Amino acid sequence: MTLLKARGVKAYYEVGKRFVKAVDDVSIELEKGIVLGLAGESGCGKSTLANTLMMNIKPPLRLINGSIEINGILITKVDKEFLKKNVWGKLVALIPQSSLNALMPTMKIKDFVIDIIKQHEELDESEIVLKAEKSFEELGLPVDVLNLYPHELSGGMRQRVTIAIATLLNPRLLIADEVTSALDVSTQKQVLKMLLNLKEKGRINSIIFVSHDIAVLRQIADMIAIMYAGKIVELGSTEEIIFNPLHPYTAALVNSVVTPEPEIKKRDLAFLPGEPPDLSNPPPGCRFHPRCPYATDKCKKEEPLSLTISSNHLVSCHLYET
Amino acid sequence: MKEKKISAILRKPAVKFLLRKVIFLFATFYVYVTIIFVLPRVIPGNPLATLLAQILQTMQVTPELVTAVQKRLMEEFGLHKPLHEQYLDFLMRIFKGDLGTSYSLFPRKVTELVFAYLPWTLGLLIPATVASWMLGNLLGAIAGYKRGGKLDNVILPISIVFSQTPYYWLAMLLLFIFGVTFRWFPLGGAYSYGMTPSLSLEFIFSYLHHYVLPFLSIVLAAIGGWAIGMRVLVIYELRTDYIDFADTLGLNEDKLLRYAFKNSILPQITGLALNLGTILGGSLITEIVFSYPGTGYLIFQAITRLDYPLIQGTFVILFSTLILANFIVDIIYAFLDPRIRTGYIGE
Amino acid sequence: MNMAKSPSIIKEIFKIKKFTISIAVVISILLFGLLGPLFYPRDPFEMKYYPERPPNPENPLGTDIAGRDILVQLLHGTRFSVYIGVVAALISLAIGVTVGSVAGVKGGLVDDALMAITNIVLAMPSILLMMLIAAYFKYRDPILVSLIIGVTSWPWVARAVRAQILSLKNREFIYYSRMACLSDLQIAFEDLLPNMAAYLFMAFVLLLSSAMISEAGLSMIGVGLTKGVSLGIILYWAQLFEAVRRGLWWWFIPPGAILVTLTASLLMLSTALDEYFNPRLRGGR
Repeated sequence: MTLLKARGVKAYYEVGKRFVKAVDDVSIELEKGIVLGLAGESGCGKSTLANTLMMNIKPPLRLINGSIEINGILITKVDKEFLKKNVWGKLVALIPQSSLNALMPTMKIKDFVIDIIKQHEELDESEIVLKAEKSFEELGLPVDVLNLYPHELSGGMRQRVTIAIATLLNPRLLIADEVTSALDVSTQKQVLKMLLNLKEKGRINSIIFVSHDIAVLRQIADMIAIMYAGKIVELGSTEEIIFNPLHPYTAALVNSVVTPEPEIKKRDLAFLPGEPPDLSNPPPGCRFHPRCPYATDKCKKEEPLSLTISSNHLVSCHLYET
Repeated sequence: MKEKKISAILRKPAVKFLLRKVIFLFATFYVYVTIIFVLPRVIPGNPLATLLAQILQTMQVTPELVTAVQKRLMEEFGLHKPLHEQYLDFLMRIFKGDLGTSYSLFPRKVTELVFAYLPWTLGLLIPATVASWMLGNLLGAIAGYKRGGKLDNVILPISIVFSQTPYYWLAMLLLFIFGVTFRWFPLGGAYSYGMTPSLSLEFIFSYLHHYVLPFLSIVLAAIGGWAIGMRVLVIYELRTDYIDFADTLGLNEDKLLRYAFKNSILPQITGLALNLGTILGGSLITEIVFSYPGTGYLIFQAITRLDYPLIQGTFVILFSTLILANFIVDIIYAFLDPRIRTGYIGE
Repeated sequence: MNMAKSPSIIKEIFKIKKFTISIAVVISILLFGLLGPLFYPRDPFEMKYYPERPPNPENPLGTDIAGRDILVQLLHGTRFSVYIGVVAALISLAIGVTVGSVAGVKGGLVDDALMAITNIVLAMPSILLMMLIAAYFKYRDPILVSLIIGVTSWPWVARAVRAQILSLKNREFIYYSRMACLSDLQIAFEDLLPNMAAYLFMAFVLLLSSAMISEAGLSMIGVGLTKGVSLGIILYWAQLFEAVRRGLWWWFIPPGAILVTLTASLLMLSTALDEYFNPRLRGGR
């Protein structure tokens, strides 16, 4: 069952007279029960995509084109009031990139929780606190955290609390934007465990997990989408992406992670020269061609279309056109 | 047992914060008082001697009066004693609350005079400061929330203009327009000539009638600064990560605004403490324009007559009041900001 | 910021409307004060006109209670107010920059001590302090008044300069200078200050604006210039001789108006400069 269907999404930042094409014609389909990893270098647009997929679009960002459907609701066609009342928090929840500052500094955690739940459900304060305590316990968080202020918690704890709060209303889709990037390895493991726990218990159905760290994605994602310069260049199951990367960029990303497994195919791209392109003026043709060792003349002129290699593997690269 | 309790209290972050502030304020007071001691003795031309001659010139001079004043001067300034002894005497007297005797109104004591005029100043200053702070913050919050909108485009420029207008000039304008031209309000004083302060309805009406213009003057002069500051804070707050997060969880605009406001008020409280001195200075001059019988008026008279003990003493009292007010605001802040109350642990 | 690019900076900055308007106003008022007396060579103290006359052809801004021409008072007054403002601002700037840079560059105990002094002076309400100090002097000339204002208004500059220095201190180009064994003071003057030139200019504008208001405040309470005329002194005389209650609006409105216009323009100027040098503020995220 498809939970999220995004078609031809274009979201640009309007800076003066220029458009920064952070998300340029992206299409994604997410099934229920799947964890989709969204990988790429910083600046490739994955954070913008994460926000756009739930229609969290604030100026100077603008949705230029596209349709996004979540659980049958066409969220690109509804107004903000509808989104806040029925979609945000209840259907989709976003854990922002800077979770360390995502909590109101002058409010106790429990007061924040009370405000959020009261917005959506008809419970009184004590009932809400009970519900929150139960949920926190289930997720392995100490209950007294609720009576503290954010600055009294460590970074890792704040991250986990943010996730716990975001999922209180059991949203179907959870979008996690670089939630492990600022954490040490052991806390990372706790966070990933927590997310999988939420999924297993049925509190959430699917996750879109944004991260530049392939090693982390390997632990949690069922499928991985590789993003480059505002476009999705490859999409496949985690197995396929890691052991059979097709796009040269994917290969470079995968190879940049040190692993002891010899099965990982090594290409000659040991490291990636150059820098990601300026998104307000991306290169013509395939956006990766300036850095691609396999670039042909065709790559410099024509944009590659999405090719279906197998049932769980898509790639946009001229190398695979027969 | 008691020692444990005391040390436990002392370790509380809020208490540590306030203790540091108290020590700092004492240090500032000390420096200020030392400046007062040093100045008349350091400035060339020996103001004290010239002063004595000048004062005696303007008063009804009798030989007894001359000796009395001279004696008082010598006592109070201890000019015959070595410098460090003078200094200690001076400090002792200040802490005992003796700020000397006025020259121009000899033999009335400075403290007695100041405390006769101070209530009028405070009666004007405190409500005006509170009103301008609250209204200014409200206007600033509205302007910040509706940034770029019609309200903002009205509130912001007006605030800028008013914030740049000197207190005294605004006072003159108001007095001229509403007192002289329209004749809606009296031209000066705190109450009608001939009345004596009492709790009668008549007096209260007169007081209020005389109160309006000076009050309005101070409020308008101070409000602009608060509005501008609050506007910037609210604009910043509305773009923070935590407001964003709350937004994506469905929290309605009303609530979000309340959050933004709650966070913005804290720096504005600190700002209040910082600006009390400026507002006080402005209101003193406003008093002069309206001939309002407060400490501003007193200082003005004292300066005209070169009554140094009175000038000094008034400033010492004003300054102490300021420090006290500052401290009260600090306490309120420590109470309201949970980060001070509970201390930082995090990273 | 590369000073060698100066010509293009000037071109760019005039494109900002706020800047052009404010600098036009500021320069006009400066010219008014500087050149005015040359074109209108009357004596501000000469009491030879009919007193208390509203604006008329002989006295474009009327006369005061002693029969002195107000327009010429205004011209000279503007000149002195600006003069005092500039000197006071320079003094504050000098003290603030010195204290701030020494504290920032040296760090450690020196920093702590200097900051303690700065905070104490900052905590004292400057207008009250100025009034108090000024009251002790029998004769107050423009330099003394500037000195008094300058010496009480520097703390915020010191703090700001120190903060900037602390943030610049650890950048690469400083390491090179340290490696070349330049002394702390040399580093301060050759590397750090040029980078803060823009900020220092903005600070100067703000100091100038507040110094002029302070001067007027001092004058109004009776401790301004003892000789000569400034905008504040005109207001002082107006107040002393009940200009408001007598309805002599041409006496007290113009000096205040000039003061407000000048300070508001200076504020707008500094905001324009800020926008130019910190483009992040120019809208957008």
